[in-house]
Order: sequence, then C-alpha cells, then structure tokens
Amino acid sequence: MTIQIHQLSFAYPNQPAILHQLNLNIPDNSFTLLSGPTGCGKTTLLKLIAGLLPKYGGHVTHGKLTIDGHPRIAMLFQDPAMQFTMDTARHELEFTLENLQTPHEQIASQVDHILSKVHLSSIADQPLTTLSGGQLQAVALATTLAMNAKIILLDEPFTNIDETSRNFLLATLKAEQSRRHLTVVISDHDLHGYQKYIQQIVEFSSQRVKMLTPLQSQAKLKQADDQASIHLEVTIPSGHNPAFQLSNTQLHRGQHLILDQSQLFIPRNEVTLITGPSGCGKSTFLNALSKQLPYTGRISYLQKNIKKLSPGKYFRQVGLLFQHTDDQFINITVKEEIMLSQKHGHSTFFTNQRINEVIDDFRLRNLADRVVYSLSGGQKKLLQILVMLIMGQAVLLMDEPFNGLDHQIQRKLLKLIKVSQKQSPQTLLIVSHQPEQFQEIVQHHLKMTDHHLIYQED
Amino acid sequence: MNPSLKLLLLLLISIEVSFTDRLTANVILAVILLGLLVSQRLKWRQLLWALCLPLIPGVAVMITLGAYSGHNWFLAWVMLSRFYVYVLAGSTLIFTTTNLELVRSLEQNAHLSSKFAYGTLAALNIFPTIRRSVSRIQVAGQMRGVTLHWWSPTLYFKAILAALRWSDQLAQAMEMHGFREGKARTAAETIIIRKRDWLILFVSLVILQGLLIAFP
Repeated sequence: MTIQIHQLSFAYPNQPAILHQLNLNIPDNSFTLLSGPTGCGKTTLLKLIAGLLPKYGGHVTHGKLTIDGHPRIAMLFQDPAMQFTMDTARHELEFTLENLQTPHEQIASQVDHILSKVHLSSIADQPLTTLSGGQLQAVALATTLAMNAKIILLDEPFTNIDETSRNFLLATLKAEQSRRHLTVVISDHDLHGYQKYIQQIVEFSSQRVKMLTPLQSQAKLKQADDQASIHLEVTIPSGHNPAFQLSNTQLHRGQHLILDQSQLFIPRNEVTLITGPSGCGKSTFLNALSKQLPYTGRISYLQKNIKKLSPGKYFRQVGLLFQHTDDQFINITVKEEIMLSQKHGHSTFFTNQRINEVIDDFRLRNLADRVVYSLSGGQKKLLQILVMLIMGQAVLLMDEPFNGLDHQIQRKLLKLIKVSQKQSPQTLLIVSHQPEQFQEIVQHHLKMTDHHLIYQED
Repeated sequence: MNPSLKLLLLLLISIEVSFTDRLTANVILAVILLGLLVSQRLKWRQLLWALCLPLIPGVAVMITLGAYSGHNWFLAWVMLSRFYVYVLAGSTLIFTTTNLELVRSLEQNAHLSSKFAYGTLAALNIFPTIRRSVSRIQVAGQMRGVTLHWWSPTLYFKAILAALRWSDQLAQAMEMHGFREGKARTAAETIIIRKRDWLILFVSLVILQGLLIAFP
C-alpha cells in the first residue's frame, strides 16, 4: 500500500501550480507528519492521495500518483463544521457504517464501541450544531476511524482540541495504526506532542518536499516539545480600569450551563489569554461578549451595560476574530478586503505606508487579486487577522487566531501586535489551546474550569 | 404510521381537496388534522404558527373571491379551508416524523435514490449553520464599518457563495465517509411497512371519499 508520487504537478485553472514536480514515497504501515509553511500545498497533496482531486477541480499537469492495491482511504478535513451529513455524532457514524455495508445487526454495537473508544458517548446524541469546534474535530476523527480504512489522512485534526484530549486522541490513533498496520499521514503546523509516535516528517519548502531522516525528524519534534513547555509569565490584574466587567453572569449553550460567574474584570489595553478544555465554552463566552448570545446577569463595557449599546456603536469599539475564518470576509478579493479595513479602520498605527509594508512582509502582494475563498486555510487565517488588526477596534476578541499558521508567520504576527500595542494599545482577549504561542505578548491568563473563569498566577 | 405511507396519504388528501369544493368536508379534515397535531403535545407557539400561517394568504384570496370577482362567498370560504388543510397536513408530517425517519423510509420503502435522499438531508441539517452564518456576516460587516441590512444584496451574495462552497465540501465529505452514488447500503434502522400501515391508509382514504361525497 505504498503511496508513490512521481514528478507530480497540480494546478487549478488560471492559477500558478500548487505542486510542482513532487517526488515522494510514503511507506506502508507508517505514521508520517506533513509539515511546511502556510499555503504550500499540504491540503492539496492529501486530497490528491484521497482521490478527491482532480475529481473535484484542478488538473494534474505532470507526473503521477500511484497507490498499490486500491485500498480504502479515509480523510479528515480542516474545517470541522463542514464534514457531516447527519445531525448527530451517532447518526453520522450509522450513516458511515451503512455506506460500508456493515450488516444491520452489527451497526448499533460498532457505533457504541467507537463512541466509547474516543470518549464521545456523552455527546453522541447532541445536535452537531451545538458542539464546539474541538468536539466536532473529535467526532470527525471517530468517523474517520469508523471508515475502517487502510490509509488515514488527517488535515490539521487537532487545531481546536485541548492538550489532554489531543494527547489522548493521538495515543488512540497510534494504537489503531500499530494494531491494524495502517498508513497514517497527518498535516500539522504544531509539531509538539508527536515525539513518541511519529516515524518521519515530510517537509515542504519552496515547492519541494523532503523526507527528513529519523534523526532529523526526532530533533525537530524535540525542539517543538521544548518550545511547548515554556512557562507563561502572567500576573493577576488589579481590577482598576476594566474594559469588561461581569457580574452574576450566567451563560448557557442549549440546555447546558457554560458559565456561572459572580464577578470578573478584564483589564483594558492589556493582553489576556483564555484557556480551558475543548467544549467548555470559551468561544461561547466570546460570542456573549460580542452581543451574539443571550445571557443572564450583567456584562458591561467601560461601565456601560452592553445590552443597552446599539450594535453599530458597539462593534466600532469591539471586534471579534471568528473561529470560522470564512465568516469574517465581506468582499471578494484579498485586495478589496484589505482596502475595506484601510478605509474604515480606526488604528493610528496602521498608516497606509505601514499597511504596504505589512503586505510585502507577509508576501500578500502576489495574492492580491485572488478570491479569498480560494486561499489555503492558513492564508485565509492570516488575512483575517490582518484585516481585523488594521480595523484597530479598542477591543479585539480573538478565537483561536493562530490555527493553521506556520511558525514564521506566527512570530511575525506577534512582533506586529507587540509594536502596535505600544503605539496604539488595544484590549486583546485571546482564546487558545496553545498558550505558549502567545507567551511573548500575554500579560494575564484566565482559565475556564467548572463554569468559572479564574486568573492564574506564575 | 410508516413515514412514506403517511406522506402519500397527506399528499392524496391535499390533491383531492384541491379538486373538490366541499366546505364542510374541508373543515372536518382540518379539525381532524388539528386534533392529531394537538395530540403530539406541540409547544403552543408552534401550534399558533400553524394556525396563523394560512390566515394571511387565505383571507387575501377570500376577500378577492368574495368581495370582487364573482361575489362567491361560498367559494371564498372553501379556499380558506383549503389553505388550512394544506398547512395542517404539512405540519402533521413535520411534527410527527423526523427528517431522518422520513429519509430512511423513503430510501427503504419507496426506493428513492440514496443520493437524492441524503443530499437533501445534508442540506436540511446544514440549514441552521447557514442561518447562523448569515447573521454572522451582518455582525462581521458592522465590525468592518459596513452596515448590511436584511435587504442588502451583499448579504445574500455572500450567503449564496457560502452555500455553493458548502455543497462542494459536503459532497467531498460524504464521499470520505464512504458514500458512493448508486452503491448498495445497509440500514442501521430497518423500517418496514406493517399491515396496520396499509390498513390506516385505505381506511383513511375511504373515509376521505365518504366525507367528500356526503358533505356539501
């Protein structure tokens, strides 16, 4: 079942080639990590292996891709919300097993078995539309395992998942891989936590791919693990000058209690990080702060009850970076998106000259006329962050802002935020599962446990 | 009752009502359907919705027929009662059967193509997400200094663009979960048509004819 790729080139019509004369062999019964900069073609490669491309668009312009013996292939997509036919996890698993012509008598027991294996039994019958991004990714992984495939391809499967669940799911995946001699390929920007499991890293750089030696791979994974264990230097805010203030606030998602907070201050013009297990309600909290969800009790922004502020006025002050990137865009092309923020932005930091510098620095010049939806997952995320930073609201709520971005871009963005904070300070509230990424800019750390948000100390 | 037969029965009732003008029969049918709905313990808001929905087009047509063209008030009342029968029949189907049950039954009992059945189901299931997305686009606009009213073309252009992308993603996702057009599938839940279902269908149809013949 070796995957053999020989001189493969692939392009979408009227666009430069995404893959150019690629050579790669992925051996049978292996666990491979695909790493590389944002927009280099990782997703395209996975979809080619899965047989979805060129079926759903584009052309192989040169070379070929062969997989011995036509094995069954399963793939998990980047966007967790867009991969389900049915309304609940249980129904989706039933649908999958029906497709595989599993005998009627075995379906119910197999579904239960898979659900308990990935610890999803408790949310199996909840509507998928009420689950968090991380929970959806876990359901998608369960369905991928249910496919009983020989080759499993996972495209950024853990971006919204907390550390504990990530480790657990990785261990489950590895056990399955060893037991059934599967070929597993994972694409991920965040290389931490893989040391125990991965045999080899395939690295993309400037349209070339290289299989790293086991020694090189281990060194890279170890470096990622060291970085991930960096300690956050944070303090408990004083409570003076709060941007937001919560009193006796209760928040629900469907029937479930998410937050029950008697008192909370979020400091103005400082950077606060929110962490907590997947599905605990971090995004729900940001949605409540941005007036998109009902709650009981009081949330005030600069001493004013936000229920009494008109949306038009409020959103001039408070911006939200959506977890689901596509929702953020109003225009069609990259240039139009940036120009819109330039026109309406409030930031004194992002002058026209600085915006031009940023466009060059992040190499967006070549992408200027591209339709935003045709960008890669990471490129979209980058554009989304930039247009919201250029808007320069007094408050920016950021929901998993660095998902799908490579290390270099993350560092550049942090630098940009740091400089911008100095010149025109904003209140930043960042939700993330990877606190170490924001270590440079974070001043306070709120942890969400048992329906409470509590400030952490060093 | 078996969902496919239920759908068939409700369709037949609607068709027959369209081609006859029997006021009393229509009223009796509407009352029976309403009774069925009430027995489902709906929320009162849903029930009120089902009762108010036919009122606006119904009264409009009624006034046109009764007051202007032909002054036929009997026909006007028949039209209003027809609207009620349609809406209550539709509501009965929606509130007594889940989408999944109906699709599974249509696939197994009526041998509807699975591509059509599950394609439609996926679209229905994605609907709440689309609705949420439209309201998100509005918020996203306000955060960028653009006010998108509910009549703004941009809003719908964005929504259509999103829907097109989703249809493509959903097709790929269905394929990655093992779905192939025309390939045989098994069933997690077997749905059979029992003798009782046929009996209910035929008895209901006979009563329907009786109603339509016996009452003016």
